[in-house]
Amino acid sequence: MGTMTEATINGLFMGSLYGLIAVGLSLVFGVMKVVNFAHGSLLTICMYAVYYLVMKANWNSYLTPILVVPLLFIFGYVVQSKIINPVLKREFELGGGHAVILLTVGMMLVMENLCLLFFGAYYKVAQVPISSLTLNIGNIVISVPRMIAGIVSVILIFLLYAFLNKTDMGKAIRATGQDREAVRLMGINDFKIYNISFGICFIMLTLAAALMIPMYYVHPSAGKIFELRSFVIVVLGGLGSLNGAFLGGIIIGLIESVTAQFLSATTAEFLIFLVFILVLLLKPNGLLGKK
Amino acid sequence: MNEKNIIAKLRYPSYYIPALAILILIFFPFLTNNEYIVQVGIMVLLFAVMGSGWNIIAGFGGQLSLGHAAFVGIGAYVSTLLFVYLDLTPWIGMLVGAVVSAIFGVIVGYPCFKLKGAYYALATIAYGELVRIFIQNTNQIGPIDLKGAQGILLPIKGHSWFWFQFDTKAPYYYIALVMMFLAILLCYKIKNSKFGYYLAAIGDNQDAAASLGVDSSRMKVYAAAISSFVMGIAGTFYAQFLLYIGPQSLLVDTFSTEIALVGIIGGAEVMGPIIGAFLLTPISEATRILLGGRFIGVHLVVYGAILMAVITYAPSGILPYLKKVYYKFLALLGDPQYQDYRTIKAPAKGLGGGIK
Repeated sequence: MGTMTEATINGLFMGSLYGLIAVGLSLVFGVMKVVNFAHGSLLTICMYAVYYLVMKANWNSYLTPILVVPLLFIFGYVVQSKIINPVLKREFELGGGHAVILLTVGMMLVMENLCLLFFGAYYKVAQVPISSLTLNIGNIVISVPRMIAGIVSVILIFLLYAFLNKTDMGKAIRATGQDREAVRLMGINDFKIYNISFGICFIMLTLAAALMIPMYYVHPSAGKIFELRSFVIVVLGGLGSLNGAFLGGIIIGLIESVTAQFLSATTAEFLIFLVFILVLLLKPNGLLGKK
Repeated sequence: MNEKNIIAKLRYPSYYIPALAILILIFFPFLTNNEYIVQVGIMVLLFAVMGSGWNIIAGFGGQLSLGHAAFVGIGAYVSTLLFVYLDLTPWIGMLVGAVVSAIFGVIVGYPCFKLKGAYYALATIAYGELVRIFIQNTNQIGPIDLKGAQGILLPIKGHSWFWFQFDTKAPYYYIALVMMFLAILLCYKIKNSKFGYYLAAIGDNQDAAASLGVDSSRMKVYAAAISSFVMGIAGTFYAQFLLYIGPQSLLVDTFSTEIALVGIIGGAEVMGPIIGAFLLTPISEATRILLGGRFIGVHLVVYGAILMAVITYAPSGILPYLKKVYYKFLALLGDPQYQDYRTIKAPAKGLGGGIK
């Protein structure tokens, strides 16, 4: 019974972290209708930024967002406005094609392999005091950084949700996702909204990276695992839906942790992709997606 | 231009330049003593074949597949296992592998073809990953040793055509060259058949095609079967040439991406992937030999940058632009057919959307 509870708790914590990583992907899709294949490599960049700040400047991992978030927000804003928007504009005018998807595939290749060039193919682990801290309740052992990551992720997703629903900017972002043309008539610059959305995606990834560094290794392809997970999660929950991303994250986290506990990590991996294909085939709009 | 005689036509640049190119390709192994350069040539031809196979479903049919490495892998594994365990000649193994690969292509393709756009691309990634995870973690199926993550080293069974093994690179080169010409012929036949027009219509606008009576899922299944058949053939060649197959080299998503890039960057026409392979593959091989293992991902940075540039500035691929330059060149050489090259138009649409 103890292992089952432990696996469930771990699954919930990891699940909400997955949810946090996936909301950025879901937001970008919801607003721009673009599946960002570079999502994982963006996460890798965020992880390297946090890692070097922790190791070289001795920052506490949880404080790094103060510096990294504004920097990467600007980076995301510029990438969107200078690289993605021109292609997006052409696709809107002419319709069809996979141009933006392919553009993000190109970005993924460039960023991932630049990381490989600059940082090498080494697994880097940031050993900070909190990394090995555990909490014992009865016979259940919980890793503290994982608990922090889980709880903070829930709060952050809730904050993003509130931002999108309560603030003017958030409402503008959601409106742009619903009808780009109408939003333009209301005097909102839709391409600026895209820049901001992409920046927000970066903010979420940076925060996730700060939460992950104490317990995860950094590697040029570290983001890829999370990218594939994020695809599964957003499709499971419904592309474009934030609640869906959170729910999908929890489901995938639970599947992974419980299966890994009782069968094997490989079975978990296999099962996740099987669920992915089944959802794609049977319910491509996801559990909470709009028809 | 009414002569029937092909030899007489050779005095026109539009005939003697392609003929010259084919002659160079045929005598290429004799032009150099460096085995490594021949090896680069073989990889170029192999990628041209794989790109052409990919192009049938993705370029002609507009279905962006990012999991085509799975079909290459299945072809390679089937023929290799037959080769190792049953001593079957790879020539037959190649066909068996290609048929298995085509069957797999239909099985995974049929349900996926209901999906559109990005969803289809995601599904292809998912089944590519499923095949990789399965092979990587399966050491044995019954009496068959799959060797999981370790991969399989092909035994040397003798240098002969029967075993598809040679002590020099030249025979491999000629097999690959023939494969490439067959792939071009196949693509040309498809492109100019009714089936090809159906596919183009589906790629353009599936709903409109369906409303005009095109059975889009059947057409896509045919295309998937042919496409994965070609990939299976290429897989056997890959295994026999490199003498090693493993999930980390053959089934990773990077390999799928490299195959797709050849087609995307070249363009969604018959010659597109061929041009793509001749442009891209030498880059990857050159960086591998010049920079060595330390800089293992350099060629992918270059590939990615080229892809981004192509998508931004030439969404239909490089081929239409090359064609323009080529026609101009022909006109300069005085070919009467191409004097009005300015009016020859580039196709409106490729995988990356249209050009203005």
